[in-house]
Amino acid sequence: MLELKNVHTYYGNIHALRGVNLVVNKGEIVTLIGSNGAGKTTTLRTIQGILRPREGEILLEGVALHKLPPHEIVRRGVSQSPEGRLIFPRMSVKENLEMGAYQRNDASGIAEDMERVFKLFPRLKERIGQRGGTLSGGEQQMLSMGRALMARPRVMLLDEPSMGLAPILVDQIFDIIRELHSQGVTILLVEQNARLALSVADRGYVLETGEMALTGPAKELLHNPQVKAAYLGENH
Amino acid sequence: MMKKILARGELIAVVLTAFLALILGGWQIMLIAALAGMLIGLSAEHKANYLPRAAGVAAFVGLILIAITHFHNTSLSTLPGMEHIPDQAKTVGTYLIALGVIIGLAVLTAWIHNLADERKRQVYFIGLMVALAVFFPFFEQCPGLSWTNFKFVDMAAGCSEQSNLLWIGPVIVMFIYALQAIGLNIVAGFAGLLDLGYVAFFAIGAYTMGLLRSQQLGSQMGDPDFFRWSFWIVIWIAAATAAFFGLVFGAPTLRLRGDYLAIVTLGFGEIVPIVVKNLYAVRIFEPISLFIGQLFGQKSSDLMQFCLLGCGAKPLDITAGTKGISPIYPPDFFGYTFTVGEYVPWYFLALTLLVVSAFFIYRLRASRIGRAWVSMREDELAANAMGVDLIRTKLTAFVLGAMFSGFAGAFYASYTTLITPDSFDFSISVIILAQVILGGSGNIAGVMLGSSIIMLIDRVLLDKLKMVINGVLQGLVFKGIDNQALAVFWTSLTDATAYKILLFGLILVVMMKVRPQGILPEQTAARRRAA
Ligand SMILES: Nc1ncnc2c1ncn2[C@@H]1O[C@H](COP(=O)(O)OP(=O)(O)OP(=O)(O)O)[C@@H](O)[C@H]1O
Ligand SMILES: [Mg+2]
Repeated sequence: MLELKNVHTYYGNIHALRGVNLVVNKGEIVTLIGSNGAGKTTTLRTIQGILRPREGEILLEGVALHKLPPHEIVRRGVSQSPEGRLIFPRMSVKENLEMGAYQRNDASGIAEDMERVFKLFPRLKERIGQRGGTLSGGEQQMLSMGRALMARPRVMLLDEPSMGLAPILVDQIFDIIRELHSQGVTILLVEQNARLALSVADRGYVLETGEMALTGPAKELLHNPQVKAAYLGENH
Repeated sequence: MMKKILARGELIAVVLTAFLALILGGWQIMLIAALAGMLIGLSAEHKANYLPRAAGVAAFVGLILIAITHFHNTSLSTLPGMEHIPDQAKTVGTYLIALGVIIGLAVLTAWIHNLADERKRQVYFIGLMVALAVFFPFFEQCPGLSWTNFKFVDMAAGCSEQSNLLWIGPVIVMFIYALQAIGLNIVAGFAGLLDLGYVAFFAIGAYTMGLLRSQQLGSQMGDPDFFRWSFWIVIWIAAATAAFFGLVFGAPTLRLRGDYLAIVTLGFGEIVPIVVKNLYAVRIFEPISLFIGQLFGQKSSDLMQFCLLGCGAKPLDITAGTKGISPIYPPDFFGYTFTVGEYVPWYFLALTLLVVSAFFIYRLRASRIGRAWVSMREDELAANAMGVDLIRTKLTAFVLGAMFSGFAGAFYASYTTLITPDSFDFSISVIILAQVILGGSGNIAGVMLGSSIIMLIDRVLLDKLKMVINGVLQGLVFKGIDNQALAVFWTSLTDATAYKILLFGLILVVMMKVRPQGILPEQTAARRRAA
């Protein structure tokens, strides 16, 4: 469904992605793990068109995303819950969610999805009129994910949803990711917490300084000695 | 202790009432009563007995108001240089009406303010404000007379001799500024783009009106009345022209961020008046012959060039340079022609323009594009990730902001009948921005409040303060002293109007310190609904 072929992205002179290849199939959860600064966030930003690849192709069901501006990419069904959540602090929860549906204009579908988000995150419904910036960290993560869902995405990009959350909340968030998976949402999940990410994912990729080091089914990666040593904090 | 007896808003009402009554006096007692009444009503948060309480506080403040106004009317106004107070303004009847106004408005406002239904509260409050605005021209000039003399147009003529200072003129200017402020609020408040050259669009709107409704161009074309198009069409052309220039200025520059954008817009604000100043001798030739001739090495003086514009004996004088365009025809309205000095029709025209614009901008904010503006201000990266086209969304904010400034400029040109490049000084951009920040960037009602405060200080209060201080100095302090130099020194030192810019700067600094979000901070739409 989503395919990256030999993608190179730069920040000025800094060569951040050095030929990334990645495939996400329909209905899959694919996780992208790697240490700090490996280029995970850069990969997601490049997919969304916020950064431009200097070389390579990004295809969504055959359409070349890398030639489109971000708003066209969002319209084609790629939404993101970005790193650090980036909710709109002085807009209400409701307005934040409406922003997620910015590229849509089917009012009834949007209302439907709003209900769906509230079913997933009842907490958000309680806080519907509250300013985004006054939510707790966990609530902000829920809002960020809800906002990404409001686009009714074909592929949803999640950048470190567990960041800065207490273990109980992390479990809750990952339960919801599983729930979304069972509803058939296609997800590309970036995580520091490799064990957790591999436990929900179908397949995984390991990124090291801008290059794909490893790939395979999530179960295999969980038992791969290299992965264990570097990302799961285990000595074997 | 004091806090227990009076709420903060009530305390402010007392201080404000005392100060205003002292320097204003006369008919202005009605305006002060209305203002204080609303303030008291708005601070009535106590759930039990809030209505009788508001009435009680209002009566108390009303008595203070009457006492100080009476002191002004009978003692202060006899000092040299003070304004004459008409006899009708000093009667017990007038004082009683003022007392009625303050109590009535306090109770009414308190009732609206404590309504449970948020929607109702909003609608009633807006209704009250509009009703007061509609009443204002009859009230401010001579409330005692106006009941017998309720004729619409006669008002200004019949009452102006009663009082030297009419507020209605300054209030019309205030409306023009408020219109600009809510326009700038789209750009700076919603979209978060710092525009320091907003006056450029005001000037463009004004000059469009000036050119299309004066003899400036027509007299050079042989038919002086050629440009006397209908005001109601030209005001749209003016707004469209301003919007078009918003597009022209915005398209290449809105890629810039923060400080850079501020500097470029600052440039626009400076360039437009300079261009206008210099368009008094224009002759344009088609450039093609020159280009071809130069290719063949001919001197330009030998060339035959076709003249396109300004081909008569004298070149075309488009803007009359620093002299400015004048007179600009006033609008007609179904056979009635607006006239200088007859304020009431102008007042209602300006009020209509402002209210309709405010409503339109309110709807814009609640719409999809309004959300996009605010999201961009909040977090550009996230807005981009939501699919907001940053450049286009910024451009719509810039263009719509320019459009409202164009409306304001067009009205201003008609109202003053004279426009010069100096009417569009950099300081106007700054004052409007100050109004937005003071009132509450992003909140339309707040921005209009900020506008009223600054404009009333600017156009009314400082002048009156100067007058009072002068009167006291001349009539009391320096009465027996025969030292002219000293008196002049103190008079100029205490000239309140000279401290205007200092005062505005101080207000902004203090606001930034104690309430950076403005007097009425922006609220989220849903929160207002849910509260
Ligand atoms: N705006 C930027 N300008 C310059 N270099 C950048 C910028 N953003 C990221 N980089 C660099 O690009 C590389 C990849 O960064 P990226 O944010 O993609 O890492 P990451 O894998 O998401 O790391 P983390 O797990 O810490 O979020 C890093 O070396 C980083 O320093
Ligand atoms: Mg990252």
